[in-house]
Amino acid sequence: MSAAPTATSGDGPVPPPRTSVPHGDEAPAIDGTAAAPPAVDRPATGAEGDIAWPAGVPVAEPADPIVADVEPGRVRWDPAERRARASQSFWTAVVGVPAIFSVLRLGVEAGGELQTTLLLVANVGPVNLLAGFLTTAARLLSTGLVAVFALGAVLAVSADRLPPGTRRRPLFARWADITPAWVVLASFLLALITWPLLYLPLLLPAFVAAFQLRPARLHERVVPRVLLMGALLAGYGWLMLPTMRDAMRQGDEWLVLALIVVPPLLALFVAGPLPGMVIRPLASVTEVAVLATLIWAAVPVITTPVLPLTVTTVGPESGPTEDVRGHVVTTDDVNMVILQERGGVRYVPVGLVRAQVLCPSEEELPRHQLRIHDFHVEDSLLEGMGRRVRPVHRIDAACRTPA
Amino acid sequence: MNSGSSQSRLRSIASTLAVALTLVLAAAAGCDSRKEPDLPSVQEKMRETHIYGQSKLRIGVATNEPLMGELRNGQHVGFDVEIARYVAASLGYEGEQRLEFVSVATEDRIPSLQGGTVDLVVSSFSMTEDRKQLVSFAGPYFVTTQEVMVPVRLKDKIRTIEDLRDPAYKVCTSGGSTTEAELEKHQVKTFVVKDVGDCVDGIRKGRYDAVSSDESILAGFLASFPKEFEIVDMPFGTSELLGVGVPIGDPALRDLVAFFLQKSYVQGRDGDASPWQTAYNRTLGPWLKAEKRQPQPLEVPKLVDFDDKAPAK
Repeated sequence: MSAAPTATSGDGPVPPPRTSVPHGDEAPAIDGTAAAPPAVDRPATGAEGDIAWPAGVPVAEPADPIVADVEPGRVRWDPAERRARASQSFWTAVVGVPAIFSVLRLGVEAGGELQTTLLLVANVGPVNLLAGFLTTAARLLSTGLVAVFALGAVLAVSADRLPPGTRRRPLFARWADITPAWVVLASFLLALITWPLLYLPLLLPAFVAAFQLRPARLHERVVPRVLLMGALLAGYGWLMLPTMRDAMRQGDEWLVLALIVVPPLLALFVAGPLPGMVIRPLASVTEVAVLATLIWAAVPVITTPVLPLTVTTVGPESGPTEDVRGHVVTTDDVNMVILQERGGVRYVPVGLVRAQVLCPSEEELPRHQLRIHDFHVEDSLLEGMGRRVRPVHRIDAACRTPA
Repeated sequence: MNSGSSQSRLRSIASTLAVALTLVLAAAAGCDSRKEPDLPSVQEKMRETHIYGQSKLRIGVATNEPLMGELRNGQHVGFDVEIARYVAASLGYEGEQRLEFVSVATEDRIPSLQGGTVDLVVSSFSMTEDRKQLVSFAGPYFVTTQEVMVPVRLKDKIRTIEDLRDPAYKVCTSGGSTTEAELEKHQVKTFVVKDVGDCVDGIRKGRYDAVSSDESILAGFLASFPKEFEIVDMPFGTSELLGVGVPIGDPALRDLVAFFLQKSYVQGRDGDASPWQTAYNRTLGPWLKAEKRQPQPLEVPKLVDFDDKAPAK
């Protein structure tokens, strides 16, 4: 029945049969009576069997591809599909970036030597590698996320002031829009525990911006609002005053003072909205700046060693000993394989190993001599708490000797 | 209406400024996190010293001053030796294989540092202005006073500096010591020998009648011959600050030794078991009349070390 009209329309492309078109029980009615008037309107098509044919689809134009005019814009901007794609790329990035970084790090750690890299690949487990990567990169990761979400939220709230004619919202604003609140919160929590205490005040304006917490949100009336803000500032002052006094006494710690005093004040105004003319340049500049910062900060992450630094004392039972400074790759029944700090791999027979100590690296030396209630300003909350659990860290004599 | 819009414009300008300032601060923080420490680090100082890269550290010690520096059964023991071991270990030289004790007589302490036969001298070396022209000192690590030790048979006859001036008594001391200069100042005629140990030997053989030196050194000989000698408390009035001798051309090494002595001092002050206290308790402690504490080292440089972030309390 329905095949008959198709066969008659021999001069045109045949639209593919669609399963989604009308229910089976309606089909006879279409063929019989109801389909008649459209068939009159479009005599040449002979498509009387498809009443639900999309309005814009050209039926009798052979040159055109069939789906060409099905409003391409609407398909591209389908929010569900976009979200699916965004989530796909998100997870690809979550798995891929650490993996790529870890492999890059192995290459750097091996001193650029192919065979050494292969030795490391063979002996460093993927879990160790990933865990090692996360411990060193958590700070960088949270910094990037916090910057994007804080800037994105401020740009998003200002976006309606964009000059007329601007169609696209800034990139960070769109990212901030599609990110669930818990991801934003998790990024801030990660920053809270991994950032050095000295930089934590900067998290305050960032948090206020990301969650658009204007002072008005504290309380609807002015007097309690001012009192609340006063109380918050007083608490902050109690926390920071001894450190500020120390910083003033040391004289040359102006940046530290600024980092402690200024951010809480900025938090009062930072939530936006921004004037229209600023948005576009700010968006472009910050996009480039965040990207540049991430690349700049990624270099130390790549060059941070994967394996812990040790000094191994090597020598026969009674005789001269030698200190080998480097990273232990693996130990088996016969050899201890040490990647030396100055490069090169050393296979030390297990029987010759007299002693081994763990050493700190010079990157861990503090830059400031300041503490916030006995927490060193360059420790993160996690590190500070760790130091409370194991307070004294002795540096072994062997670590002082040159490589 | 108008005031509302101007207020909103003001707020948006404040927002712009706040965002810009936050970004500037963040950038400054980023740069700060990558800069080198302002203060020199222990490792940097290590690289400046003449001992950097040396496989062994040579330390000059006395071998015949009981309790301070003594060679007993082939082993160097004593308070000075323990302090030397602590300083050496802090500098990265731990264990007998990396440490060489060189026997240095009292008068040879300065020449051996000048001649480069030893890297450090820890041998009851009093810090004086005259000596500071020739060698550097880190410390003090001990404060002692000058005393006189007499054989028991003379303990009632020699009681004052006046008695020492009596030509009937032969007073002995070691050459090149601060004691020699101090006795000269009091017009006491002395017999100068190489080491305090020679004086003690001489007294036991009847050649001398009294020996003068630092309380800590004399306490050592008293510990060796408790029934034969007695220390007489005399008001010489000067305190001896014992320091670690360092070649004058190596200020970095001096700074490091002072820094590590300070580390021990801080530990002891905070009530922890410090290396100094352990050394003292094992050697001098039981033999001195009055309890002593580690003196605060002088001219300690500020250095950055790995354990700086450890909690203070």
